[in-house]
Amino acid sequence: MAAVATDDTAKAWRRRDRAVTGGLLSGPLLWLLIFFVAPVVYVGVYSVGGIKVFPTDAGVLSLGDWRSFLGGDSVYLSLFWKSIRISFTVSVIVVLLAYPVGYFLALCVRKRKYVLLLLIIAPFLTSYLLRVLAWKVILGDTGVLNSFLVSIDARSPDHPITWLLYSQFTVVLVLAYVWVPFVALPIFASLDGLDTSVLEAASDLGANRWRAFWRVTFPLSLPGTIAAFVFVFVPTIGEFVTPKLVGGTSGYLFGNAIQDLFTTGTDWQRGSVLAMFLLLVVAGLMAVFGKFVRVRSVAA
Amino acid sequence: MDAAASRGALRTLKVFFVLLVVFLYAPIVILAIFSFNDGDVSFPLQGFTTRWYEQFLSNPLLIGALQRSALVATASSLIAIVLGVLASFALVRRRFVGKSAASALFFSPLVIPYLVFGISLLLLFRLVDQALTSVAGIYIGLGLHAVVIGHVVVSLPYVILTVMPLLERLSASLEEAARDLGAGTWQTFRRVTLPLLLPALISSFLIAFTLSFDEYAIASFLAGEQPTWPVYLFAQLRVPSQLPQLLAVASVILIASLLLVLSAEIGRRVTERKYAGELAGRGIV
Repeated sequence: MAAVATDDTAKAWRRRDRAVTGGLLSGPLLWLLIFFVAPVVYVGVYSVGGIKVFPTDAGVLSLGDWRSFLGGDSVYLSLFWKSIRISFTVSVIVVLLAYPVGYFLALCVRKRKYVLLLLIIAPFLTSYLLRVLAWKVILGDTGVLNSFLVSIDARSPDHPITWLLYSQFTVVLVLAYVWVPFVALPIFASLDGLDTSVLEAASDLGANRWRAFWRVTFPLSLPGTIAAFVFVFVPTIGEFVTPKLVGGTSGYLFGNAIQDLFTTGTDWQRGSVLAMFLLLVVAGLMAVFGKFVRVRSVAA
Repeated sequence: MDAAASRGALRTLKVFFVLLVVFLYAPIVILAIFSFNDGDVSFPLQGFTTRWYEQFLSNPLLIGALQRSALVATASSLIAIVLGVLASFALVRRRFVGKSAASALFFSPLVIPYLVFGISLLLLFRLVDQALTSVAGIYIGLGLHAVVIGHVVVSLPYVILTVMPLLERLSASLEEAARDLGAGTWQTFRRVTLPLLLPALISSFLIAFTLSFDEYAIASFLAGEQPTWPVYLFAQLRVPSQLPQLLAVASVILIASLLLVLSAEIGRRVTERKYAGELAGRGIV
C-alpha cells in the first residue's frame, strides 16, 4: 500500500501523525512547563538575585547568599548536615525493620502473601499527617504513654518522661514509623522473584542457610534494598512536617529553616538559596542512585 | 525442609512480622479509642462518649476545611487523570523525538521535595500577580485554585504510572479492529479503550484523591485564606481543647481510608485477574 501511495499522501499522513502526537503531549507538557519547570527556574534565578520580588531586594546578580550559606560557620549548613544525619539514621532503621518482613513474606509464606503485604503497606496509603498526629498524642508529657505509666504507678505525675516528645529521638521514631510500610515493597519485590531452588542448590552443595543467605539471597536482593534505602533517604532530607509536629527545638531541621524563611521571615532570597541547594542535592542523589530505583517498580 | 529459613528462624520471623503489624496499627487504634473517651486525651479512660463526633459535625470551620479539601482533591484528580491519560497514550502508542526527556519530565514531580515545589509555586504566583497588577490591575492571589494547580503536578506521575502498564498490555489491534469496523477515533476511545482502562482510572483517581486530600506541604504555602483540611488541622493543634474532636475526625478519615485502600486493592486484583483471563482467552493481550 505504502509503495502505491504518492509522496503527497504520505506527507499528509505523517503530518496528521505528528499532529496527533502533539495533541496528546501538549496538555501535560504545558502544564508541567508552566506550573513546575518555570517556578523552579524562578527560584534558581531568584537565589542569585536575578529577579526582584520584594521592594527590599537588591535585584542585582550576586552569589552573596550562596557564599554566606556555604561558608564555614553557616547555621543553615550545619542544619543541613543534621538533616542528612537524621535521614541516614531513619533509612538504616527502616531498612533493618523492613528487610526481615520482606524476606518472610517473599520466601517463607505461601498462602495469602499479597494480602499480608497489603496489611503492611496499607498504612502508608492513609493520611501521613494523621499518623504523625497519633504519635504526638501518644508521646506528650500528659499524653497516652506517660499518663498510662502514671496510672499504673510506674511514674509519678510530676516526672513524666520528657524526652519522648520534642526531641531528635521522636523525629527518628516517627519518620521510621511513617516510612516502614513503603520500604517493605521494593525489598519484597526483589526477593519475590527469587527461585528457591537456587537456595536448595546451595544447601545441596554444602552451604548452610546462613552462608546461603549471605552468598546468594542477599546479593540478589541488594538492588531492591538499595532502592528502598534511597526511597526513604532522599525524601526525608527535606522533611519539615514531622519535625515541626514532634521535633521541638532540638528536632528543628533544614526543611524547617526553609519553611520559616518563607513564612515567618521575609528573606525569601536566602530561602531560595536553601531550597535550590536541597533540590540540587536530591537531584544529585537521584542521578547517582537512579539506576537502582526503577520508577516502574513502585507501581506494581 | 524449607530452604529459606530453619524452623527457629521461621518462628522469629513470624513474631517479628506480628510485632511490626502491631507497631503499625497500634497508634491508629489508640487514636480511635481516645476519640470515644469522655475526658481529655490521657489515661485513665473516663467512659464512652460520642460527644467529640457531635462537636466536629457541628463545627462549621472544620466542616468547611474538609469540604475545601474534598473539592480540591476531586478537581485535581480529575485534571490529573485527563492529562495523565493523554501523556500515557503519547508515551506508549506514539513515537516521537525526545521521548525519554518527556518521560523524565513527567516523572520528575515524584522526586522533588514538596517543600521546594510549594515555595516555587508561591514565588510564581507572586511574580504573576506583580506583573498583572502593574499592567492590568488584576490580582489573582493565592487560594484553592493554586492548591489544585500544585496537586495536579504531583498527582500526574502517579496517574501515568497506573495507566501506562495497563495500556502497554492492551494491544493496539483492538482499537484498530474497532476503527476497521467503522468506529471513529472518539467512538473507539469511548466504546473500546476507555472501558478497558477503567480499572486503572479508578485506582489512579483513588491515589490522586488521597494524595491531595492529605497534602500539607504544598497547600500550606498556597492555600492563603482558604485553609484545606491538613492546613486547618495543623493550625488547630495549638489549641488543646480542640484535640478530642480532631481525633474524632482523624479516626473517621484513617479508618475509612484504610478500608477504601484494602477494598480497592483487592477489587483491582480480582478484576485484573478476571480481565487477564478473559483477554488472554481471546488472544487479545
